[in-house]
Amino acid sequence: MEASYPAQIFGPGLPATGRTGSLRLFPAGVEAILPDDSRRVAATLTELRLREVGFGQPGLELAWTAADGEWLIHVLDPASSAALRAQWPAAAVPGLQALQAHERRQRSRRRLGWSALALIALSPLLLVGLFWLQADRLAAWLAEQVPIAEETRLGRTTFAAMRGELSLIDEGPTYAALATLGQRLTAGSRYTYEFHVVADPTLNAFALPGGVVVVNTGLIAATSSAEELAGVLAHEVQHVELRHGTQTLIKGLGWQAVWMFATGDFSNTLAGQAALQLGRLKFSRDAERAADKQGFEALVRAGINPAGMPRFFATLARQDGTGAAPFLSTHPSSQDRQAALESMLAGLNGRPFSALALAPWPPTASHADQLQQ
Amino acid sequence: MAMDVIDYEIFGDDIQFVELELDPGEAAVGEAGAMMMMQDGIEMDTVFGDGSAQSAQSGLLGKLMGAGKRLLTGESLFTTIFHNEGTSKRRVAFAAPYPGKIIAISLPDIGGTMICQKDSFLCAARGVSLGIAFNRKIGTGLFGGEGFIMQKLEGDGMVFVHAGGTLAIRDLAPGETLRIDTGCVVGFQPSVDFDIQYVGKLKSALFSGEGLFFATLRGPGRVWVQSLPLSRLANRIIKAAPVAGGRSVGEGSLLGGLGGLLDGDND
Repeated sequence: MEASYPAQIFGPGLPATGRTGSLRLFPAGVEAILPDDSRRVAATLTELRLREVGFGQPGLELAWTAADGEWLIHVLDPASSAALRAQWPAAAVPGLQALQAHERRQRSRRRLGWSALALIALSPLLLVGLFWLQADRLAAWLAEQVPIAEETRLGRTTFAAMRGELSLIDEGPTYAALATLGQRLTAGSRYTYEFHVVADPTLNAFALPGGVVVVNTGLIAATSSAEELAGVLAHEVQHVELRHGTQTLIKGLGWQAVWMFATGDFSNTLAGQAALQLGRLKFSRDAERAADKQGFEALVRAGINPAGMPRFFATLARQDGTGAAPFLSTHPSSQDRQAALESMLAGLNGRPFSALALAPWPPTASHADQLQQ
Repeated sequence: MAMDVIDYEIFGDDIQFVELELDPGEAAVGEAGAMMMMQDGIEMDTVFGDGSAQSAQSGLLGKLMGAGKRLLTGESLFTTIFHNEGTSKRRVAFAAPYPGKIIAISLPDIGGTMICQKDSFLCAARGVSLGIAFNRKIGTGLFGGEGFIMQKLEGDGMVFVHAGGTLAIRDLAPGETLRIDTGCVVGFQPSVDFDIQYVGKLKSALFSGEGLFFATLRGPGRVWVQSLPLSRLANRIIKAAPVAGGRSVGEGSLLGGLGGLLDGDND
């Protein structure tokens, strides 16, 4: 028994919208049956021209030229058109192979199109991903492109803005000691440094791009020798030398740009955020480790005993968890860093260093009161 | 599946409404917000999906798929069914949302399926399934946007579709093509091949004021075309609205009249 499929039939004498009928399949041909006038039209397989039709679902068009004109049979129901194809041996219908080849092409084109669409849709995500992986390298490279004069201007402007909130003690023996140590550590640098002491009991120190280094009195009070303060200074100076501040700033701006691009929210201005960010710079753990390492080497170069550096970390470690030291919160664990520095110290094989001529420490008794605040 | 055979009457000239007469037990499916009035005895029911028996039979997964498709195309997840619970004939009316014509189409006459633009469907006899059809030609999705997602009306009842402005019906012979502004397509028979075509000339794309793309419809089959897509009307209204920067001129004023003379009515 031959299968029968629902079909829309177009042909001479039929309305332009076609007529609903059915299609029957024989080994050698097809027959279309019009229901109301029970007219039948037939064609042999070799006469047929096949084409893919249908909106949204794959249908099949069978066309042939008969004596009375052009006949078109549309099998639009996807199940029927699939069944129809499956029953035809490709060799028997000349058009089928061409159709299948065409459909394969269509399918690969469609796949290509969808991939392109997906790529376009996902491009913000891809950008974010790429940035995530390469942000550090990119920021480091970009920071190298910033002229030193520009970095200096940035740091000085930021410090000028912060200055109002800080009570600076840029005089007296403590400041003199700090400045002396700083000069020794930064001799020959491409940056011009300025050092500041701030009357603040919290255990903190920070560096701004371009060479502004600020140390709190609280930190100085916690040091038990000039070497320890030199260790902290060496660390902060290396943040400047390695351009960590500028890198972090660039990374932050980059993230904002990426975020804006990904979300399409362009309401924030880049420039406005820049100054804000510098004030509360946080460096990555890698940056901190690099600053430790380079700081240690700078101490050795300056002829200052680097043992003060791990010793100060030991002091910090004791304070760890008390919340008293913001210096710690942004830094990797003090123990880890102390261990790393001590192994570097061991690598020096007990090289002798002359003690700094700044003893007794802290510099003077009169300032000690102030430092204890 | 038994379809509900509906008697209907269309009122008005250019801002029309259609009144359906439901026998006891008969029902109609309406687009959300299209209902204008209904008599006593007609009950309103909101169902998940398109209200057709086909979607009632499908499992939870099928329902979710259907809901996903409807969400994707920006349609509401629920369909409102109006059914006559009385003992005699009752009427319910659905109004066109903007000036235009309501077209009554008997689906069996065109092969049981019609593809139409998403927002042109107004109401139908229950049993007509409202599906979503994605054009399989990827180009339409990449470039056209319009015409990529269409609504598929399937069944063997009456459907009522709204066309903006004046309606043109074109019967395309096999192989005959008609190029239509993408917004002006109301619907077509599924035997019609629908494609989106780039205007072709950069100059006309930039300066002709037409869109960048045409819908190219290739026969055989019937095509319904509207003269005034809602977006075109909305554009003109926005342009003329004082709050949106348009000029507000008094109709009777000398300047207003002069302004109108000079202005012309170019789109």
